[in-house]
Amino acid sequence: MAEGIRIDNLVKTYGQGDTAVHALRGVNMSVAKGEVVGLIGPSGSGKSTLLKCLGAVIEPTSGRMTIGDRVIYDDGWKVGDLRALRRDLIGFIFQAPYLIPFLDVTDNVALLPMLAGKPNAVARKEARDLLEALDVAHRAAAMPSQLSGGEQQRVAIARALVNRPPVILADEPTAPLDSVRALAVVDLLNTMARQFETAIIVVTHDEKIIPTFRRLYNIRDGVTVEEDPAGSYGRDNANKS
Amino acid sequence: MISLAGRDILHGWGKFVLTGVGLGLLIGVTLSMAGVYRGMIDDAEALLDNSGADLWVVQKDTLGPYAEPSSLNEDTERPIRAMAGVDRAAGVTYLTMQIAHQGKDVRVMVVGGEVAQPGEPGQPPHLIAGRRIVQGHYEAVADVKTGFAIGDQVKVRRNTYRIVGLTSRMVSSGGDPMLFLSLKDAQEAQFEKDADAIVRQRARTASSPVLNPPGNPAVAEAVNAAQASSTNVNAVLVTVAPGADADAVAAAIRRWQRVTVYTRAQMEEILVEKMIANSARQIGMFLVILAIVSAAIVAFIIYTMTIGKIREIAVLKLIGTRNRTIAGMILQQALGLGLIGFAVGKIAATFWAPFFPKYVLLLPADSLRGFFAVMAICALASLLAIHAALKVDPAEAIGG
Repeated sequence: MAEGIRIDNLVKTYGQGDTAVHALRGVNMSVAKGEVVGLIGPSGSGKSTLLKCLGAVIEPTSGRMTIGDRVIYDDGWKVGDLRALRRDLIGFIFQAPYLIPFLDVTDNVALLPMLAGKPNAVARKEARDLLEALDVAHRAAAMPSQLSGGEQQRVAIARALVNRPPVILADEPTAPLDSVRALAVVDLLNTMARQFETAIIVVTHDEKIIPTFRRLYNIRDGVTVEEDPAGSYGRDNANKS
Repeated sequence: MISLAGRDILHGWGKFVLTGVGLGLLIGVTLSMAGVYRGMIDDAEALLDNSGADLWVVQKDTLGPYAEPSSLNEDTERPIRAMAGVDRAAGVTYLTMQIAHQGKDVRVMVVGGEVAQPGEPGQPPHLIAGRRIVQGHYEAVADVKTGFAIGDQVKVRRNTYRIVGLTSRMVSSGGDPMLFLSLKDAQEAQFEKDADAIVRQRARTASSPVLNPPGNPAVAEAVNAAQASSTNVNAVLVTVAPGADADAVAAAIRRWQRVTVYTRAQMEEILVEKMIANSARQIGMFLVILAIVSAAIVAFIIYTMTIGKIREIAVLKLIGTRNRTIAGMILQQALGLGLIGFAVGKIAATFWAPFFPKYVLLLPADSLRGFFAVMAICALASLLAIHAALKVDPAEAIGG
C-alpha cells in the first residue's frame, strides 16, 4: 500500500542545557493510506507532543516527516504555510467533538472546503454527501447542541474527512462513548480510511478499541515501539475475563 | 465563505441584543448630551432671531443685555430712530424671575417691549394662539413652554396679568420661556421697590431741605414720583432699513451716541462663544467620558465573548482558518454591537428628548458623526479581543 504519513527519527526537545526536556527521542512511524493504526502510551510519554508535531502545530527539533510524496519536515519546515497544510493535508478528530456551536451540522462540515476557497454551494454539497455516508444526513440542519454524543462524533469525523486529507489524527475519539458506540466509531474510521484512502492515527487509552487495530504503536519515554494489539491490551483483557 | 460573526450573533441573538440595548441606552445619553449642547446654541440663535433686531444698542462698555446688566434711558431710542439707515428702534427690558402659578414655580424671562405698534423689535414675531398685547397694562403673551393658557392670571411682583396670547420657541439663552409684557409694566416689575424701601425713601426726601424745600411740597412729590418709577431699558433693539448696511449704521450710532452697539454676528459671538462656552466644555467633557465608558463596555463585552470561545477559536485555527478571518469575525461582532447600540440609542434619544426640561436638538449631522464615532470606538474596543484571539495556540485544541 502507498504510504500516507511517515516520520523518521523525529526528535523534540523543550528547553536547553540542564533544563532540556526530551519529549521525543527519535520516533519512527509509518502509516499507509487506508490504514488505521493505534498510538498508545502512558501520561508523559510524549504522546501529545508527537500528535502536535504530526499535526504541524509545533516544530520538531529534528527528523523528517513526509505526507504522501511531500516532504513536510526535514530538519526544518519544508512547507511555508502550515495553516494551509493543516487545512488541506491533515484532518483532526478530538476527544470531544468541538463542533462550532453557532454553525449547523452542514456548515460545521462545509467550513473547511469554504476555508479552502470552494464556493458555499459546492462546499455544502460535499458536506451533505459526507453526512450521508456517515448516516447523519437527517441531522444536517440541526445545531451541534441538538445532537447526541455519537452524532456529534460522526459530524466531527465528517469534518475531518471533508477535504479528503491523506492523514487524519484522532485524539481519543472514543473517550466519551460507551463500548458499543466506541466500537462503532472505530468501524467507521476503518471504513472511511479504506473508502477515502486516508491514513488514520488514533491516539487512545481506550482498552475496548485497542485490540481492533491491526497495528499499534506504543510510545514510552519519547520512543515508539510497534506492538501486537492483541498481544498487549488484548491479551491482558482476555486474562481479565 | 459564510459570515462566522453573523452566525455567532444569530446563535446567541438574545444575549447580543440585550447587550446592544444596554450599550444603546448609553449611546442615547451621549446623543442627548450632544442634543443639549445643540439646543443651547439653537436657543441662543432663536433668541436673536425672534428679537427681530439687526443691532443691539446697550449701555457703554457692557456686553448686555443678555450677558451682562445694561441700563439705558428709554429716550435713547428717539435719536437712534432718527438716524439714517434705521428702520425701527424700540427699548426692551429683560428680567429672569420665578413666577408662582397654580402651586408651581415657573422660571420665565419677563420681556418688556413697545406694544403700541405691531412688529416692533422685541415683540414675539408670531403667535400660535390668542392675540398680541393691545392694552398698555396687565396683559401678557407667554411662550407655550411656560405652561400658561390663554385666560390664565399670572402674578408678576405686585400686579396680576392676564394671558392674552401664546407664542413658541421664545426662550432666553438659558432656555427659560419668555413672558411678554408692555414696556411700562415690565419696567415697573424690574425696577419697582418694595413698600418699606419706598417709605424710607420718602422719609429721607421729606427730611432733606433741598428735596423738600419749605413752602413748596410739589418738589418732594415730584422727587418721590421720579424715584418710584423708572424709565430705563436694558437695550434698544434696532432694525435697519432695507438696503442699509448694518455695520455702517452701527458705526454711526457708536459715533453719535455714548453707547455700545452690537451687530448680529457680534451678539451671536457673545451668546455662543462667551455665555455657553463653559457649558459646552462641560458637555464636551461628558461626551469624552461617555465615549470612554462606551469603549470600555464594548471592549469588555467583546473580550468576554471572545474568551468564552477560546476552544472554538483554537479549533478554527487548527483546521486552517486564517487569522484575518478570526479577527474579522470579532471586529464584525463589535461593529454589530455598535450598530444595534446606535440604533437603540438614536431611538431612545429621539423618544426622550421632548421630556427634557430644556430644548434638546438632535441634528442628523450629529447623528451621522455619532454613528461613525460609535463604529470607530467599537473597532478600537475590539482590538483587545482580537489580540487575545490571535494569541490562542491551535495546540490548545489538542489535548495533553
